[in-house]
Amino acid sequence: MSEDLLRITGLSTRFFTDEGQVNAVSDLDATVERGEVFGIVGESGSGKSVTALSIMDLVESPGEITAGSIEYRNADLAADVREDHPEAVDGEFVDLLGVTSSVRRSLRGTAFSMIFQDPESSFNPTLTIGEQIAEAVEVQRRASATPRLSRGVEYSFASLMASTVLGSKKFVTAESRERAIELLELVGIPDPVKRAEEYPHEYSGGMLQRAMIAQALAGEPDVLVADEPTTALDVTIQAQILDLLADLQEETGMTILLITHNLGVIARMCDRVGVMYAGEIVERGTLADVFDDHVHPYTEGLLGSVPDLERVGDRLRPIPGNVPSLLDDEMDDRCYFADRCPKAMDACLDHPPSYDARGEEHAARCVLAEMDYDESRALPEGYFGEGERPAADREAEPHGAEIEPDGAGGTRERGENE
Amino acid sequence: MSMLKFLLRRTLQGVFVIWGVVTVLFGLRAVSPGDPASLMLGQGATQELVERVREVEGLNEPIYVQYADYLGSLVRGDLGYSWRSEREVEMMVLERVPATIELAVAATVIALLIAVPLGVVSATRRGTASDYGATLFSLLGISTPNFWLGLMLILVLGVWYGIPYPSLSGSGSVPIGVGFVDLPTGRRAVGFGEALMAIVQEGSFGEMGLWLKHITLPAITLGTYFTALITRLTRSGMIDEFGKPYVTATQSKGLPGVLVRYKHVLRNTMIPIITVLGLQMGTLMGGAVITETVFNWPGLGLRLIDALGVRDWPLMQGIILFIAIMFVTINIVVDALYTYLDPQVSVE
Repeated sequence: MSEDLLRITGLSTRFFTDEGQVNAVSDLDATVERGEVFGIVGESGSGKSVTALSIMDLVESPGEITAGSIEYRNADLAADVREDHPEAVDGEFVDLLGVTSSVRRSLRGTAFSMIFQDPESSFNPTLTIGEQIAEAVEVQRRASATPRLSRGVEYSFASLMASTVLGSKKFVTAESRERAIELLELVGIPDPVKRAEEYPHEYSGGMLQRAMIAQALAGEPDVLVADEPTTALDVTIQAQILDLLADLQEETGMTILLITHNLGVIARMCDRVGVMYAGEIVERGTLADVFDDHVHPYTEGLLGSVPDLERVGDRLRPIPGNVPSLLDDEMDDRCYFADRCPKAMDACLDHPPSYDARGEEHAARCVLAEMDYDESRALPEGYFGEGERPAADREAEPHGAEIEPDGAGGTRERGENE
Repeated sequence: MSMLKFLLRRTLQGVFVIWGVVTVLFGLRAVSPGDPASLMLGQGATQELVERVREVEGLNEPIYVQYADYLGSLVRGDLGYSWRSEREVEMMVLERVPATIELAVAATVIALLIAVPLGVVSATRRGTASDYGATLFSLLGISTPNFWLGLMLILVLGVWYGIPYPSLSGSGSVPIGVGFVDLPTGRRAVGFGEALMAIVQEGSFGEMGLWLKHITLPAITLGTYFTALITRLTRSGMIDEFGKPYVTATQSKGLPGVLVRYKHVLRNTMIPIITVLGLQMGTLMGGAVITETVFNWPGLGLRLIDALGVRDWPLMQGIILFIAIMFVTINIVVDALYTYLDPQVSVE
């Protein structure tokens, strides 16, 4: 296998809200290799997007990265920051949590860029698409013109003021605009010269997502973080966008961190997968490890809840229960999945560490990786309080019964499995 | 083309609004107690003169004929005759317009110069001392009555600390030297246009200094409410805007913070504020009546109050009509501007 590009160790991101501390991401470990597509899959609220934002350094107050390290392999950056932050540098790796926020900003767009779930709200509605992409190009141009990467792109308030009268002080240059048009062409937008002058509301959802990909590519990033890139799109458009991403990855060799709740997207795109639950990666490994040889009952439940054409007429099998609260006060020190787990045992009352599982680099945060299921140690029915499991069953029953043989009920029963 | 259609439609709507204002004004005059002719002439007018005015003004005709005559003369651009001042109303309105516009514009400029930076600081440093300071300032500004603020500024800055403010020349009760209104002609000592000409033609800055000296306190008085309002709108607008997904997306490009804050967030915040600015022009005119009275500023508002005092109906009608026309026009301009500023809004 190729070299590691990102090493995330023990990453914890907390939100300090009025209701209390929310553990959005807890003790997360993951390694992303150069040139691969690494998928993160999980339900809504499992911490996928916060993980992405943590990597981008875009977690906003009241959120905060409280522990861990995100090590990024970049020899140039390591040389740049070694002097100021010797403790953050380890060989070619730089711990991004150990450098200043201006260094982090200098990496946005150039080392990491991101595409978002809802393209329509992710563009500024009052600037043209061309202008917005050109901004991203300009960031990259200015960054490469600056000898020290860590210095980032500077543009002062005075320059901004002057730019209203002096065209030469404008942030975006004509060259960047031209490059923006090339990028639009690259992502398959017809008539890019004209479309660059159009505003976001004049684009369709699929076109906007292409434009966003163009914008993300502007800085020729090492890692493209794609947060639910197809969720807001029609199914046919979803396929086109995934094809586009796959093609671009092949051409540029960039690494993609693909975040989705859609197992179909994972199966289609990814080399390796991390399954997230309650802010943790509960199982990670190659696509084959996770899909065919999984250890964690949550992974099993997730895969089992996908509708299967060969079982038309069957009920969908949702995982009973609800996603747990991530409020620190309400999180017991146990396996967070135990209350919904069909194989919960007494051993699950201790919070499990990440165990090595069967395959190489295959790990699961589940005692079943170390021992077999022992019925005599199973927790009694209703152990986690009345109401939780029975209520979920009640909810699952009538819905399941309604599913039509032609699958029309599928939309009603979607949940997080599409 | 569609812009032209839009303007035509809005102008037509505006004409109806003005017609409504005219009708209400006419109705008010008709139902107000007292004989209009005697009111126009004031006490001590001879019976013959009153009769002559009744005849000339058509006051002996039935009310609908009077109404039709009134509308007819307005359409011809004739605002009537002020028997009190023995002058055409038209001239009496127009000669006072520059002073009021100067005051309104100065108040708006002061408001924007203070409010936008204050709102930005408040929004970007939420929860800090500067935010609380700005919030307190805007609360005070919104709740301080114009006339009181004006009087306090005169008292503190004018009387106690001797900064000049406009006063009637020759009025002995006023301690400060320069009179702003030349009483016999009712004109100002210096207008903005004259001051500008003095700089351009003679290179003399004295007139502009005089103008600034006189307009500062009235403009602050008139603009304070406005400043407070825009501070609040800028703050809440920016905070709203910062919460939108495109801001995160813009940051993810690695754009310098100054561009995210101003080119993207502030720009989008200002679009709705421009509308408010336009709508508030009407309030500004209303506020100008009080401010002009307090500072004896020779604008439309002061003339309106004077006319009210002597029940000079033609003059009152003329001034109110003019203010209504200004209000409607500004609104049309703001709407047209909005379609230009916000590409999502089209004239359809």
